[in-house]
Amino acid sequence: MLFFCLVLSINQSLHSDSKYFASDSSIELLSNSNSIQPGDELLVGVKFRLEKDWHTYWKNPGDAGEGATIKWNLSKGLSASNILWPGPERIPVDPLMTFGYNDEVVLLTKIASDGKVNFPLKIEAKVSWFTCKDICIPQEGTVDIEINEGNLLATSHDLELKKYLSRVPTVFSRDFRVEELDNKFFFQSDVLGDEQYTDVYFFPSEYGLTSYTKDQIFEKNQNSFTLEIEASEYSLDLEIFEGIIETSTADGKKFFSISYPLESDEPKGDSSVFLLILFAFIGGLILNIMPCVFPILSIKILRFVEHSENSSTNTLKYGLFYTFGAVLSFLLIALLLVILKSSGESIGWGFQLQYPLVISILFYLFVALGFMFMSSLVFGSSLGNLGSFAQVKNESLESFLTGVLAVVVASPCTAPFMGSAIGFALLQPSLNSFVIFLSLGIGFALPYLILSIKPSLLSFLPKPGAWMETFKQFMAFPMWASALWLLWVLSGQVDQDTVLMVLIGGLVISLSLWLLEKNTSEKVLIRWSIRVLAIILVIGSISILPTQYSSKENQAEMPIYSEALLNEYLSKNKLVFLNFTADWCITCKVNERVALNSEEVLSILEQKNIKYLEADWTRKDADIARKLEEYGRTGVPLYLLFPSDGDPIVLPEILTKDILLDYLNELT
Amino acid sequence: MQKTFFILIFSFLSQFIFSFVQNDETAPDFQLLDSNGDEIALSSFRGKKVVLEWTNHGCPFVAKHYESGNMQSTQDFVKDKNTVWLSIISSAPGTQGYISPEKANELTVSRNAFPSHVLFDPSGVVGRKYSAKTTPHMYIIDEQGLLKYQGAIDDAGGRGFMSKDLFKANNYVKKGLKELASGEEISSPVTKPYGCSVKYSS
Repeated sequence: MLFFCLVLSINQSLHSDSKYFASDSSIELLSNSNSIQPGDELLVGVKFRLEKDWHTYWKNPGDAGEGATIKWNLSKGLSASNILWPGPERIPVDPLMTFGYNDEVVLLTKIASDGKVNFPLKIEAKVSWFTCKDICIPQEGTVDIEINEGNLLATSHDLELKKYLSRVPTVFSRDFRVEELDNKFFFQSDVLGDEQYTDVYFFPSEYGLTSYTKDQIFEKNQNSFTLEIEASEYSLDLEIFEGIIETSTADGKKFFSISYPLESDEPKGDSSVFLLILFAFIGGLILNIMPCVFPILSIKILRFVEHSENSSTNTLKYGLFYTFGAVLSFLLIALLLVILKSSGESIGWGFQLQYPLVISILFYLFVALGFMFMSSLVFGSSLGNLGSFAQVKNESLESFLTGVLAVVVASPCTAPFMGSAIGFALLQPSLNSFVIFLSLGIGFALPYLILSIKPSLLSFLPKPGAWMETFKQFMAFPMWASALWLLWVLSGQVDQDTVLMVLIGGLVISLSLWLLEKNTSEKVLIRWSIRVLAIILVIGSISILPTQYSSKENQAEMPIYSEALLNEYLSKNKLVFLNFTADWCITCKVNERVALNSEEVLSILEQKNIKYLEADWTRKDADIARKLEEYGRTGVPLYLLFPSDGDPIVLPEILTKDILLDYLNELT
Repeated sequence: MQKTFFILIFSFLSQFIFSFVQNDETAPDFQLLDSNGDEIALSSFRGKKVVLEWTNHGCPFVAKHYESGNMQSTQDFVKDKNTVWLSIISSAPGTQGYISPEKANELTVSRNAFPSHVLFDPSGVVGRKYSAKTTPHMYIIDEQGLLKYQGAIDDAGGRGFMSKDLFKANNYVKKGLKELASGEEISSPVTKPYGCSVKYSS
């Protein structure tokens, strides 16, 4: 066989022909007509015939291999288009994936003629290609045909050329979008009723966009579909989502080209990271004068004034320990965030204020600190020991703990003032997040550190005296102001009774602190019983803290769907947005991430007092199924908007923020 | 102290955040037999740069790189630069490129090539660990054992490769090593590898 081929190929290469035989494949140049009039256009194709189980490649070969090249040598007046590549097949080569054509393929080209061609015309193609099975063989050959003057007349190859032409992708004319979430791409599009896609597959044009080997998940909805595609293991940050999609229906496969610009929401380049680091540093500096932090620091710093007369050498050491405590705390926060992020939680900064328990504990802390500033209660004797809870004689450790405490009290303040900057930092790769938090910590600790290096900077302050006690007492007010703000945040998450419980807890904490302050009895037994009582009170007040959301308003925002509740709303002529969803529905989740959970949508729901109802079909539910059926649906998603009067509006299955906002704005 | 802590945290985290070999991370260690029967460990080259070349002499892409002298020129470039060159064959027994140690040494002589070692990975474990897809597929590892480059040897890949002049191509390995030597970051740390598929056992 091989010998036969070799003989043939030698034989054939001696004089030009429309066919060329290589060792394991052959090529042939086909034309849809052998004659044209000047100005006509020809459809020609290079047909590759491969041995059984051999393949050649698409223009993007996938993980290995290489597509064919065709060099045209044309008579004067003729010009060739680029290769029109028919849609490829997936050819897995475990563990890799390649894209190409098994057995045979025709790569098409359109050849145009101008008005001044001289007949006969010669069309010559020099083709180089690879035929591969488990191994690859590079091949090269030249084929040509002659075209005479005459009317276009279909040749016997015309049908075959047309067949391959129908496999060349056309522009996908349907509305579609591509969303990039969590290292996955979601390609979503509407479907016309008569087109029953059974599968869709995406072939990327370029390396570095999507994974070649991972399965793509096709989800069919009533009037739309979603294709979930894993991003490439090596992201090259391409700005465009480009390639072709293969749609399968009962009638066979079709190919469409798509191109969609990707939003690059991640800042690129070192300069922007540098800028973020700078902002974090400045933000850290500013935190020092926030009402949560300033009192603690200022009182702590006052001790430099006290100490500056005697041992100023040690202050540097304490300053360094403070810095260490603060920076370490910020890095621990960064670590926590990165771990949460990698475990798939979608968190932003300020997440700490999403937990009623955390808010309440911070509330107690601020109440207690305010009380301690106001009273003469200090653990230990000097002003300087404020800020650490234990009676720590080791001042290095105490300075370290002060640094930690300063970060803890700073945490609620960072949320409103620095939320967006830190949120941005979290979008960064983990390493950058750490660097940004490091910079924040350094900025935060710097003023204190500078003063510890040079306490004489504070020499403008009056000599230590009674004014310091007055100042300390005054500083209780910003503490309590912070406590008030925390309580306000809490009141948005839990109901009135719980807020009252937390307030009582604050009162009890104050009471126990007062007990400790007045506990100066000489008798050991009394002193200790009062201490124990105070501790019991503190534990008691912590035990009543809320751990879950219990707000009635919150429940009103996220109530569970029931037919009765819907009817109740409708009977009161309320506007209702009904979302049929399920955890396993990819389309639903993409819509929720992209459109429903956006701030604009939430605020318009609130503004127009639109009741939001969620019908969760994660587990089959007869009531929900019946409701879906009413609207001719057998599955989710389904979005319904009920106006105050008239029939509900059925929203598209693929929601964008703009589409949803339009509908919500017009709802009356 | 803080810096150590910071590095500790990050190296700990990197274990579960990424699953593929990523640049700027420690390149996975391996021990393979070379064509002289010695066991070679990647970790024994700490303090030197290492170039990994996945190869298969029967692959036309590899053949062109050797026949043109381009691969040897790249090997020559790294010579005397405190750099080790490891050619790795991940072809499974019975597939193209699976050769005996003697044949490997013979090829080295006949092709006038000078890899530091030719290593055999017939099980494909190391190749899969590095996600080596094609022959050639190149990797650069720095003195600290961190992966700095992965991808093609040059930008000659793509259609029409067989008729290209490889000496006119932009050689990513030479360029990357030059950039590393001058203390810069590699300008294109990931490129699309091109060539034949690695002939893994399935």
